Amino acid sequence: MASNDRVRVRGVTIHRPVIYGNTAWALTQEERDELPHPDHTHRWTVAVRSAASVPDSDTVGGADDLGYFIKRVAFKLHDTYPNPNRNVDKPPFEVSETGWGEFEVTIRIYFVQESGEKAITFYHHLKLHPWTAVGSGEPEIPTLENALKSGPVHSWQYDEIVFNDPFQSFLNILTAHPPTMLPKVKRRPVPFHTANPGSLEASKGGTPEFQQEMEKEEAERIEKALKQIVEDTHKWRNKLIEKENESNKLKKELEAAIQP
Amino acid sequence: MAASAADVRSILSIPNPPPAGPSTQAKKPQAAERAKKPEGIPRELYALIGPTAPTLVTQFAKPRLKQKPNLGGTSTPEDADYPFAKYNVPATPYVYSQDEYTRLLEDSKWTKEETDYLFNLVRDYDGRFFVVHDRYEFPGRPERSLEELKDRYFSVCRKLVRNRPWAGDEASKLALISSLTYDKGKRASSLSYEVSPVNVPVAIDKEILRKQYVASLENRTPEQIAEEDALYFELEKLKENERRFKKDRDELLRTLCGIESGLPDISIEDDGLASAALDTKKKKKTVAGSVEPQTPITPSASNVIALPQPPPKKSAAKSAAYDALHCIVRTEVEQTAGSSTKAAHIPVHLRSYKLAQPKTAIAPRVFQLLGELSISHSRLVMPTRDNLAKFASLVDAAQQLVEIKKAVDKHEQDIKTSKARLATLRGENPEGVEGGDGDALGTPVPMDVDDGAEAEGEVDGRAQSVMSTRSTRSRKQGRRSMSISSVDTAGGPNPKRQKQR
Repeated sequence: MASNDRVRVRGVTIHRPVIYGNTAWALTQEERDELPHPDHTHRWTVAVRSAASVPDSDTVGGADDLGYFIKRVAFKLHDTYPNPNRNVDKPPFEVSETGWGEFEVTIRIYFVQESGEKAITFYHHLKLHPWTAVGSGEPEIPTLENALKSGPVHSWQYDEIVFNDPFQSFLNILTAHPPTMLPKVKRRPVPFHTANPGSLEASKGGTPEFQQEMEKEEAERIEKALKQIVEDTHKWRNKLIEKENESNKLKKELEAAIQP
Repeated sequence: MAASAADVRSILSIPNPPPAGPSTQAKKPQAAERAKKPEGIPRELYALIGPTAPTLVTQFAKPRLKQKPNLGGTSTPEDADYPFAKYNVPATPYVYSQDEYTRLLEDSKWTKEETDYLFNLVRDYDGRFFVVHDRYEFPGRPERSLEELKDRYFSVCRKLVRNRPWAGDEASKLALISSLTYDKGKRASSLSYEVSPVNVPVAIDKEILRKQYVASLENRTPEQIAEEDALYFELEKLKENERRFKKDRDELLRTLCGIESGLPDISIEDDGLASAALDTKKKKKTVAGSVEPQTPITPSASNVIALPQPPPKKSAAKSAAYDALHCIVRTEVEQTAGSSTKAAHIPVHLRSYKLAQPKTAIAPRVFQLLGELSISHSRLVMPTRDNLAKFASLVDAAQQLVEIKKAVDKHEQDIKTSKARLATLRGENPEGVEGGDGDALGTPVPMDVDDGAEAEGEVDGRAQSVMSTRSTRSRKQGRRSMSISSVDTAGGPNPKRQKQR
């Protein structure tokens, strides 16, 4: 068994659904006064979690403990923070801070040694202010009362960590921890995503949750667009052929006109 | 009966027929005629008219055919809906642009002009390839066989379907492609040719083989046919003998050795002589009656092969669920050089890293197009494997659309340029143009003779159209462009000079 452990299992691709992003809460005036930095307006948590949520919890995702394949998650905050490189070596992989501005968080995931894989890096734009519909005229930064009223702001991106041809030992580890499936039925609002502006309404009303329906919904959106494009292509192709013929005819005429 | 005719005569006070001798002679055939009295005419009436009034008879017979053939074609309403029109399903016409042709459809044996010609014919004759082949007459080409025409047509269609964006799912695309490919063996019978001429494609070799075979069948001499029949008959007789022999042997074995010996033999018979359906049915009946009732059907020979198969099947279904649970996707590994695959190991990544990207040259226009359809080009809400694949086909389709639009723009520009040049040429010397037109009708001008010179001409033409056309300088320029672009400047006199003369 041990000799087989360091053998890559060819033809196998295994992935783990994760989400990364942040939740932000606006601070009340009293809370602000207690902070060492009175200018900070928000408290936020940036995290890497499993995609499925624990039922009846107010955290987004995090049903599974990702510690079995993630060794460390490094969050690089804005340089103005003291000690901006925050390494989290055990779950939950998250950093909580207070602040007043949005910035890009660099997230780096290190995998357990058995994986034999290098770390992966990606970015998350820290979102403090509520989502607004494009062109709705609402101010990007609402007043304190409004911010408090609208509740915490969620900004999460679903993604899948894909391992190709994993080592047998690593594959064993992974298969020992099957991920929790996303819920089939809609229990809670969907997380808002800029790629789907239509989901703004559906994202309101409590802590959102990733669900299987979202994938289907997106597939349908893409298919609809594809159908539209194919239709247009057909139209334009006919137009092109028409033009081509006309152009060729004209060229022939021209040529004939030049050579009497 | 004969008297009745006489009675009628007397009633109607018609004078009696002249001398009896000829009348009896005439009556005989009359009686024969009467025996064949057509149906639908009362006996009395027929007796009255008799065969002497054939015009009336034909008039009575006529209504059997209600509708007269309308040979003049004057009275049928032309605009009435033909009741069978709904069965006339038009085939999808396939057209292709120049760009598609150069990218996908190039073939050393075919020119674009000939392919165009073929497609026009196929469209004109509604995909009836026999007609197409009959009318096919492309100048400067030796005759092509029917198979060649079909092969070209269907291969082009296949390539178009395969490479164009497809709105439906993969399965329907594959179904269409396979309908445009040759269905091995059965479907390419001559019958289905007649029924759906467009949708029965050809594998050129197989088709030729099939036709050769048919021809050879047709060309057999009567002796050969007789011989074959005799041989077939002989074979059947041998088979029948074999069966009978086996049956006898079985019976014998069973009576001698009991149940155990009989079973394997039965199964072998089931295997080997499946063609004798009736016979085996009988056999089974006897088996069911006399020997063991439960296991006569499963052949022991195939059991050996069949046994190991079910377990993998079961585990395949199980492992699909297992894979789904653990998010595993298995792909076929080609067993080639191990070292090379090791080098090509794809490191761990986020799924969204593999989001499809359009070619950088046209990326902005693709992004704009996707934006119009409210699809983000950089992010997906759920970048799963399926959605990524869907997105990739979307980007691919968008890319094609953008390229087609670009080509349309280019051609519009070309048309504008050509028109402008033509206008200036015509404006300067209408006589020359007329002569040129006559020329064009007489001999088609080869288009692809000198692309380079043409391109130069175009550039000049465009420059010319930009400049004011009335100025003398532009005229000079026009003349120069003419001398550059015309294929043989030495051949014809310059139209400009002609005018000056």
